[in-house]
Amino acid sequence: MGAVAFGGVYILNGQSCATAWDGLMINVWRNNDDMRSERAAAWVVRLEADGLGDAEATTFDAWLSASPDNVAAFDAALAISRTFTANAQQVAEGVAQRQRRVMRPAMDRRYFVGGAGVAAAAMVAVAVAPQIFTPTSTDTYVTAKGEKRSVTLADGSRVDMNAGTRLTVTLARKTRSLSLAEGQAVFDVTHDADRPFTVAVGDRVVRVVGTQFDVRRRDGKLSVTVARGAVEVRPQDGDIGKAYRLRPGQRLDHTEGAAQARIIAAEPAEVLAWRTGRLVYREQSLADVVADLNQQWATPIRIDDPTLAATPVSGVLILDSQDAVIRRLALLVPIRAVRSEAGLVLQRDIASDR
Amino acid sequence: MSIATGHSPVTMPTDPLLEIYLERRANLVRYFAARTGSVSRGEDLAQELYIKLASRDQSAITVENPVALIYRVATNLMLDQARGDARAVARDAAWRRLAHVSVGEEDIAIEPAADDAAASRQGLRQLVDAVTELPTQMQRAFRLHELEGRSHAETAGIMGLSVKSVEKHISAALKSLTLRLGR
Repeated sequence: MGAVAFGGVYILNGQSCATAWDGLMINVWRNNDDMRSERAAAWVVRLEADGLGDAEATTFDAWLSASPDNVAAFDAALAISRTFTANAQQVAEGVAQRQRRVMRPAMDRRYFVGGAGVAAAAMVAVAVAPQIFTPTSTDTYVTAKGEKRSVTLADGSRVDMNAGTRLTVTLARKTRSLSLAEGQAVFDVTHDADRPFTVAVGDRVVRVVGTQFDVRRRDGKLSVTVARGAVEVRPQDGDIGKAYRLRPGQRLDHTEGAAQARIIAAEPAEVLAWRTGRLVYREQSLADVVADLNQQWATPIRIDDPTLAATPVSGVLILDSQDAVIRRLALLVPIRAVRSEAGLVLQRDIASDR
Repeated sequence: MSIATGHSPVTMPTDPLLEIYLERRANLVRYFAARTGSVSRGEDLAQELYIKLASRDQSAITVENPVALIYRVATNLMLDQARGDARAVARDAAWRRLAHVSVGEEDIAIEPAADDAAASRQGLRQLVDAVTELPTQMQRAFRLHELEGRSHAETAGIMGLSVKSVEKHISAALKSLTLRLGR
C-alpha cells in the first residue's frame, strides 16, 4: 500500500506504527489504540468526502481487513458520527445556548450552575450516547400480503420485514426484546453488549449482541440464518431441545414442538435476497416455494399432488407479477397452472416432462 | 431476468469475484454506510452490489485487481443511486415521525415513558458537553460540518483553511468524541 493520498504508513501486525500526515511525523511510540482511533476517525471523515478514488477505497479495505480491532474502532467512530448527525439540530442548539451562557459576566449564577453540570457530566461521560436515546416502548409492526417494510428501531437496529409478517418490539434500558409471531425478517443489530437483543420465535429464542441474521416462521417451521456476527438459538423456557450457536453462513431449521434442530450451510446473500424482490432456492420443495409465493399475492396457489409438492426446486425467482413468476417457475419444474374458483392449481405438465 | 438452475444444495458460489465479495461483504457495508451516512442504505447497496456482480458478463473481463474492481463497481452503484438514496432517507424519516402505528383496528401511541425522556435529555447534555470542550478550531470545523451539515469544501471556505486541514480538524474532533463517549 504506502503513499496513497490519505495514506500514511502502517504495519499490519500493529506492533509499531508511524503515521505521516501532511509530512508531519507523529510520535512513533504513541500507543496503538490511540493510533487506531485516530485512523478510524480519519477514515470515517475521509469516506464522506466527494471524489474518493479506487486506490483509497482499496487501502481502506486493507486497513479494515488487517485487524478486528480496526473494525471495532471504525464502528465506534462511525456510531458516534451517526449519533451526532441524528441529533444534530438539538446538539447545535445546546452548544449555542451553552456559549451564550459562557459569554455572560462570570458572576452570573447560571454560569456556575452550567459549569458544575459540565464537570459532573464529564465524570459520567463514559456512559454512552447510543443507549441513552432509547425510551422504553412496545410497538407492533405488521405487513400485509405482498408488502415489504423496513423499520429502523430507536437503537439504530434495522429490521426488514417480508410480506405477511407480524413483529412486536420492546426496547427497554437493559434489554431489547422482539417477538416474531409470524413471517420472516432480517435483523441488522446495532452492537450493544449491555443490552442483549432477543427475538422470540415460536418455541425458540434467538439471542444476539450485534449482527445480521434472518428469522423465519411459517406454518410451525422455524429457520434462522446468520449473515454476520453470531447468534444463539435456544428453547424458550419450558420447551425442549438444545441451544445452538450459529456462525455466518449457517442456517438452523427446526419444526416447532420437536426437540431437535438441523444446522446446514446456507448462503446468507441468497437467504436475504427477498429484500430486493428475489427468492433464491437450492433444492427446496415446491411446497415451500408455493408457501412463499402465497405471501405475495391475493390469489392463492395450491398443489393437490403430494409428489409434485415434494419436488425439489433450485433457482432464482424474481417477484414481479404472479403470472410471470409462475411462467418462470415452469422453467424450473414441469408444471402448468390451472385457474379454478379456489385460485391457481399447479399440476404436473406431462408435455414438458423430460 | 436470469434464472439459475442446477445448484447442488450446499456449494458456495465458484465465481472468484463473488467469493472475494463475500469475504469483504462486511467491509463493503461499512464503506457504503460511511459514504451514505446510513447503515440501512449500506446494507441495501451491498445487497444490490452482489446482484450486480453476480449478473455481470463473466466472459468479458479478466480481473487484475478484483478488490479495486469491486470498489469501483460499488462507487458507481452508489452514485447511480443517489436519487434513490434521497427517497430512502425521506422514507426513514417519515417512519420516525410517525407517532402512531396502526395495528388492526387499533391505533397505538408510541410515547416514551417520562423518566426515559429525562434520560434522553441527560444523554443530549453529554453530547453538548463533549462538543463544547473541544479545542476551538476542531469544534468550529465539527459544528459547521457535522452539526450544520456543510460539506468539507464549504467548511474550508468559511474557516479560510484548506480542505485537507478541515478534514484533519473534523477527524481529530471525531476521534476525541469517540474516545470520550464511545464504548
